[in-house]
Amino acid sequence: MRSNYKNLIFKDISDEAIMEDPRKILADELVELGKSNKDIVFVSVDSSLGASGGPFNKNFPERHFEFGIAEQNGMGEAAGMATCGKIPFIAGYVPFVSYRCFEQVRDDVCKTNLNVNIIGNNSGFSVSALGPTHVILEDMGVLRSLPNLTILSPADGTEYRQSVKIAAEIKGPVYIRVSRIKARKLFDNGHKLIPGKANILKDEGDITIIATGTMVLNALIASSILEKKGIKTRVINMSTIKPVDEEIIIDSANKTRKIVTVEEHSVINGLGAAVAEVIVKNNPVKMKFLGTPDKFAVVGSYEECIDYYNLTPEKIALQVADFARES
Amino acid sequence: MTVALDKAEIKQLTERSYKCRKNILKMMRLGEAHIGGAFSSLDIMTVLYNKVLSHNPKEPKWEKRDRFILSAGHKCMALYTTLADQGYFEEEVLWTYNSFNTRVPMHPDEKVLPGIEFPTGSLGHGLAVGQGMAHIARMENPPFRVFVMLGDGESAEGSVWEAIMSAGHHKLDNLIAIVDRNGLQVNGETVKIMDTSILEEKYKAFGWEVRTIDGHDYNQIYDALASVPFVKGKPSAIIADTIKCKGLSFAEKKFEFHHWHFKENEVDDAIVNVENSCREELVKIEK
Repeated sequence: MRSNYKNLIFKDISDEAIMEDPRKILADELVELGKSNKDIVFVSVDSSLGASGGPFNKNFPERHFEFGIAEQNGMGEAAGMATCGKIPFIAGYVPFVSYRCFEQVRDDVCKTNLNVNIIGNNSGFSVSALGPTHVILEDMGVLRSLPNLTILSPADGTEYRQSVKIAAEIKGPVYIRVSRIKARKLFDNGHKLIPGKANILKDEGDITIIATGTMVLNALIASSILEKKGIKTRVINMSTIKPVDEEIIIDSANKTRKIVTVEEHSVINGLGAAVAEVIVKNNPVKMKFLGTPDKFAVVGSYEECIDYYNLTPEKIALQVADFARES
Repeated sequence: MTVALDKAEIKQLTERSYKCRKNILKMMRLGEAHIGGAFSSLDIMTVLYNKVLSHNPKEPKWEKRDRFILSAGHKCMALYTTLADQGYFEEEVLWTYNSFNTRVPMHPDEKVLPGIEFPTGSLGHGLAVGQGMAHIARMENPPFRVFVMLGDGESAEGSVWEAIMSAGHHKLDNLIAIVDRNGLQVNGETVKIMDTSILEEKYKAFGWEVRTIDGHDYNQIYDALASVPFVKGKPSAIIADTIKCKGLSFAEKKFEFHHWHFKENEVDDAIVNVENSCREELVKIEK
């Protein structure tokens, strides 16, 4: 695959894959950040072991606060700590640190614009066997409507690694969407995740594929499949869902005929909607939204679910090819 | 240890709290308000700001200040008038009530008014936020204290009990919850809508030390607030029995005055009524 992005190390599906565990990366990064910044605190809602806080607890027990299975309280506590100049990270399953305590996120964290950083673990289908109470396909949509909140959706280990420091540096609240699935390394260490900035990974065709999180890898593979069929694509990694990179979207609308968005998320109000909001105001080219339908998730393995919702590289390629042929 | 206020101090506190009640009514010339809880909580707030809190109106963000969070944010008319009386901002700000972009909206906003520690309004948030502050305070030397005022109606919120459980578990003795138990909420008697009693036993079961007081008796209020923590290693709860709309005789103990939809001239009558109440209180003190 020809790439236009110098820091992209992924070339082909057949290359040797370096797989990294996002949760371990976050856990290690929290410890690193904790060493250099004494204001970092970890708020656990019975989430230390499974959700990135264990090593932090071991290193900085005095800055680790356990509040048990009580996320409304945990989120409020995090806000209170932030008013005193601390930089709390609160981690847990997506539904528990976003929906269960939604009003605390809205009123106590976003309205106040405090530096509270929410790690939403096990996003999308990464815990698909647990069923629809745990498989959340609307978190970006729900949270995207909150003023002041930055939403990061890292695509690989390099981005996960940087997201912790970035979240702490952003003065307001940040939500990091984290998959439990091991992430294939896409970028070298020279890659910089810049909030609000997307990357053009490949820039060849007259159809753009914009992907986020886990779907960036699938989009890249889909692009290779398409290339072999003579369909050239521009591929974009949208690692910040809010604020979305308007400039790159408008540029894509101007330079390519069509835009396809791919996300491990509902097609309602996620990446696709964020892109559509930009292009309808500027240059309304045709769009296709790849993601999950307006339904609660089926139960299955990660691979089964991704296949069921047509999000495998092969099925993405097929849908993009069909879309490319449409007039 | 019991501490007592002398007659002159009680007189002064009475005058200040009634000045605030009058100012609330003057604000209500501009629009309706949650008067009931403001009046029931005012005597406690008056003692807090005049006698208990370590604070500096000229430096509202002084790091070592004690924090006060009004979890029942709709009682904010009491807080606004108290803060104005303390000199956090000019009294003129109060007369912008109910106008576009006012700094004194119906629920307090920390971004627009000095002295507001945290925005509240949706019930059940304050105790958790206060605890977050109290945890960080414990890292300081000496730690500041965090006072959180809740309502008894508010105490039906599940998040309140998450916070109560957590504070007891963490033995946060620099956290003080004050429950303004006026017994009424917007639709009637709290005991009939959702019986949160016996609050004392519930707090105790979660590891708090509890004291019940008359929330309009300055000596009892001051003695309780000056005695915290009641026990080292435990958060303190002050359950204050109060009278909804205390000081406005025709409205006292009536749930309809939780948020008063008044008719024309009724506010002016109320000001006269409150002035009379103040005079009666002062006469009682002299006796």
